[in-house]
Amino acid sequence: MSVAVREPGAVIESEPIRSRRGIVWETIRRRPSAAIGSAILLVIVLGALLAPWLAPYDLHKQVGPVFGHPSWSHPLGLDDGGIDMVTLLMWGARVSLVVGFAATFVSMVIGGTIGVAAGYFGGKTDTTLMRITDYFLVIPDVPLMIVVAAIWGPSLFHIIIVIGILLWTSTARVIRAQVKSVRERVYVKRARSLGASHTRIVFRHVLPQVAPLLIANTVLTIAVAIFDETALAFLGLGDPSRISLGKMIENAFQRAAISTGAWYAIVPPGLLVAVIILSCSLVGGALEDALNPRLRVAHLSARSFRLRPLVGRGGEAV
Amino acid sequence: MRGADYVIKRIAFALLTVFIAVTINFALFRLAPGTAVTNLARVPHATPETRLALKREFGLDKSKLDQYFIYLKQLSRGNLGISFENSQPVRDNLKTALINTIPMVLLGTLFAIVIGTITGVLAAWRRGTAAEGASVTTALAFYSMPTHWLGLMLVILFAGTLPTGGMTNDFLINPSFWQHFKDLVAHITLPALTLGLVLFGEYTLIVRSAMLETLSEDYILTARAKGLRPAAILRMHALRNAMLPIATLIALSLGYIVAGAILVETVFSWPGIGRAVYDAVLARDYPMLQGAFLVLTVSVVFFNLVADLLYFKLDPRITE
Amino acid sequence: MRKRWLVALGIGVLTVALGAYAASGKSSGKSSQSGGTFRIGTSSRIDSLNPYVAFNQDAYSTFEYIYPLLIQYDKANSKFVADFATSWKTSNGGKTWTFKTRKGAKWTDGKPLTARDAAWSINTDIKYAATGAANAAGLIAHIKNAKAPNATTLVVNYAAPAGNVLGQFQQFAILPEHIWAKHTGHKGADLKTFANSAPVVGAGPFKLTKFKKDEIALFQRNNSFYGEKPKADAFGLRMFSNSDALVSALKAHEIDAIEDVPATAIKTLRSGFNVRSVPGVDQTDFIINSNPKKSKHRELLNLKVKEALAHAIDREQIVKVVFLGTAKPASSIVPPATGKWFNKNLKPETFDLALANKLLDQAGFKKGPGGIRVAGGHKMSYQVITPTDVPSTNRTFQILQPDFKKIGIQLSQRALDSTAAFEAISGPNNKYLNFDLAMWDWVALIDPDFMLSVVTCAQYGGWSDSGYCDPRYDRMYSQQQLTPNQDKRRALVWKMQAYLYNKRPYIWLAAQDHVWAVAKNWGGLVASPQGPFNSISKLSLTSVHQQ
Repeated sequence: MSVAVREPGAVIESEPIRSRRGIVWETIRRRPSAAIGSAILLVIVLGALLAPWLAPYDLHKQVGPVFGHPSWSHPLGLDDGGIDMVTLLMWGARVSLVVGFAATFVSMVIGGTIGVAAGYFGGKTDTTLMRITDYFLVIPDVPLMIVVAAIWGPSLFHIIIVIGILLWTSTARVIRAQVKSVRERVYVKRARSLGASHTRIVFRHVLPQVAPLLIANTVLTIAVAIFDETALAFLGLGDPSRISLGKMIENAFQRAAISTGAWYAIVPPGLLVAVIILSCSLVGGALEDALNPRLRVAHLSARSFRLRPLVGRGGEAV
Repeated sequence: MRGADYVIKRIAFALLTVFIAVTINFALFRLAPGTAVTNLARVPHATPETRLALKREFGLDKSKLDQYFIYLKQLSRGNLGISFENSQPVRDNLKTALINTIPMVLLGTLFAIVIGTITGVLAAWRRGTAAEGASVTTALAFYSMPTHWLGLMLVILFAGTLPTGGMTNDFLINPSFWQHFKDLVAHITLPALTLGLVLFGEYTLIVRSAMLETLSEDYILTARAKGLRPAAILRMHALRNAMLPIATLIALSLGYIVAGAILVETVFSWPGIGRAVYDAVLARDYPMLQGAFLVLTVSVVFFNLVADLLYFKLDPRITE
Repeated sequence: MRKRWLVALGIGVLTVALGAYAASGKSSGKSSQSGGTFRIGTSSRIDSLNPYVAFNQDAYSTFEYIYPLLIQYDKANSKFVADFATSWKTSNGGKTWTFKTRKGAKWTDGKPLTARDAAWSINTDIKYAATGAANAAGLIAHIKNAKAPNATTLVVNYAAPAGNVLGQFQQFAILPEHIWAKHTGHKGADLKTFANSAPVVGAGPFKLTKFKKDEIALFQRNNSFYGEKPKADAFGLRMFSNSDALVSALKAHEIDAIEDVPATAIKTLRSGFNVRSVPGVDQTDFIINSNPKKSKHRELLNLKVKEALAHAIDREQIVKVVFLGTAKPASSIVPPATGKWFNKNLKPETFDLALANKLLDQAGFKKGPGGIRVAGGHKMSYQVITPTDVPSTNRTFQILQPDFKKIGIQLSQRALDSTAAFEAISGPNNKYLNFDLAMWDWVALIDPDFMLSVVTCAQYGGWSDSGYCDPRYDRMYSQQQLTPNQDKRRALVWKMQAYLYNKRPYIWLAAQDHVWAVAKNWGGLVASPQGPFNSISKLSLTSVHQQ
């Protein structure tokens, strides 16, 4: 008995791809990793959204001694300002998620536009845009973010823009490939010959086909954006007026939490970040596997083995 | 001569990218707001002679376009300016920093490969069992952890057993070679381990996929039918097929890792290039920043080129 | 497969090495000789080895231990005792001071150390006080010249009888003429560019033999020192970039002492180490731009506004949360640990938000939309510059911000590294026109002259971080320097503190205790408000020994 080539839930290339619209939901339903990931993300996002109402204590009020130990009233202890950790986690997740989503939105807009333009128009536009993309792919991310934060000052807005500007490349590439294949479809050619404008074709025919993949890519980008934010905050370049998960780690680090035995000031925020990133990776990875089977094809080349885009983690400041 | 054609194209592309990187590096630092950034002769406590020399070398009173060409000329000579912080040539500072970072990064990559290979093989060989799930999930879990946080976790676990800061024990006065070696190994372990843990996930997935590919092929069936032991099969066929993507991945990762070991170096106070960038930012040492940034970008381009060429050499089935 | 061989080999080597390491037990430089190396860890830095350039306290402590100074403090930190000068007397109505210096002293390169080096140092600083020697200008104020009639006599001539001669010379490091004389070119500007790298030619109880910036400074015993020789063979100062690494290193016995223990770690260290705490001379402050010529936000020059701000600061909370009780609320530019120089009548302003609100209402700044007061047509919303290398500022700011909001003042934090922070404060071009508020800290000396000097007009672009410039205050400052009678001088110093208390260029927050920790097998350190490694006397590290 040979080892099965097919993974449960994978889409086989030879099947005609019908409507892609239902595929996101279907993938989530059928693949356990995606289901778990989505569920976790939902819980975390809800928790962060509802932080102002759900948080057990006030964010600025000191409720006990500095680095107070975990107790029944404070399950995760207190941070270096005597503030309840659970409250901090909820509010911190809020800021981290905001940065993640906003930066991803920026990168989605840029990457999507470039990807669609390159794939749809092809030719010289394609080549130029891809060269630009290749250049951005090789910029070392965190050093650039550090430099920009140094020159223009650390503020939430700057950080969001900088992260967004560095993350669009994978989106652009993936979208471009997808748009290229859609463009060759019969109905698109027919629409062209009937005189439909480019805009109309892009919005009515191309984008809907591309959307699911864009979603998959977006989810993965969110993971990276959140990681970048924690990295910047840890290096002291985060917005000093807002508490994010990354800032919580930095505060504890600066105040000798580890050697004081206050592991609970450092472990939970990082764990939460890891969980968010893991969930995003599971969901995004599952979606990508489902939507783009060519990524799993039997070509023994590194690029096709990247189950995550290169800019995902290998391209990151480690 | 399709082969040479490809190689030349990739090298040309790499050179072009380096050129663009150099240009953008220039723009980033000369066109930024504030004279502090643009006035690269402003080395604190420098003699008037030094300042004058720098002004001449980098044409700081000329137009931006002139400055650009002068910048290229100085770059071709390896002159990266003088650091604000210690008034030494940037090139020398960077050299020391790079020499400190590379062993740590190489060791970390080694850890990642070893752990990744073991878990990947386990996952593929025990396909469909709990072991596979556990293996892949562990890989993904570590992959998702913020690097600096993982470093701090290791500090929590190993403080007292292994040194958690610096590259050597500076108080060892005139140590013997063996003492010095032991000291270095002790200090390099935790940072390299952090890197390894954070990176091995990718190798796991690659090895697993490569092995799954190979294991499903007919000649494996034949080998098993012939009675070859599993280890032999693994060794001879499956792992060999994973070598190409692994080699390419190493090359690709190295380019970025050297650029990015900032987080690990900050946690462990490792005096390497990542920390050099960070310290340069804190001290607003713009010549150092500019030089470091350039070196990092070039290293990434270089390793991407190596990856492309490896890919080309080792995989005859290339599609471009 | 070649690749796998390499992998196997790599693993093999690593295993062997790690195994050997583990088997040998904890390494980390055990000092087994009788003298031993006393290893100190710190989270601050030596920014430069050049006395004309250095800013950081640790640099000045370094100079204390590697250079001869005429005077030092005794073990109780109250009296001046001999260092390079063995005796001194005044004449000519206090205008001439004659010091007798040590006989047969040598620099570490073997050249003779005589009173001529002292005279040269003083005269050089006077000559270049406006250029290269600007940092030291305060120390040689009012000196006309210095002469060395013979190798062991130094005569210093003042323009008028000075009151703080010994205090000033306690800070004055004597430099070797034969090394530094070649670096006075460009009208003295070269003084600042000489790297003075290790091994440094000096003449203290220790010589600086190894220096890696931001990493390590190693000092070895100087056997040709003219005074009491150190008991230890050497001491080292290892610089850490974060407190966790610092504390872990002590716990793992990689170092023997921490010169400045982070407040959060005090409890855990008490069990295994000797932890000592003394009232220190480090005070954190809240700075209000007091440049009378500033153009924007002139409401912050209003004394009633400053007073209101002072009443909105919860010093008790700061002491509790930021310093975990290892500090006391501060009130004056001269810290309490200076003993008789501190004006005891000055008390920290009460934390009274109602009073603060009343004062601001009375000053005519009504609350506008969002509860933020309006002044001169704009919101009373200000940026507070904080240097990243003073870690207490972040937590302190988080305590101040909501309280200030309650009195209608909006604060936002702008964290910059210290160079950029100082530039932002003094900009543009040392005119102090741009900034409104800032936070920093000061490490004072025991003699109050230095701290009182930082708010003089002459310190624009030098030590001033408040832009304060007041001719009347400058006159008082000059006067206390020229008052030889110590009681009269003290009264004047008290008067100056009270004057500044009302003018409030600084609102003083907390006077920190100095807490240090030493491994139990070392003893003999001398306590001082600056800790065991200080710029107050050579005695501390000279008497440290293994026990």
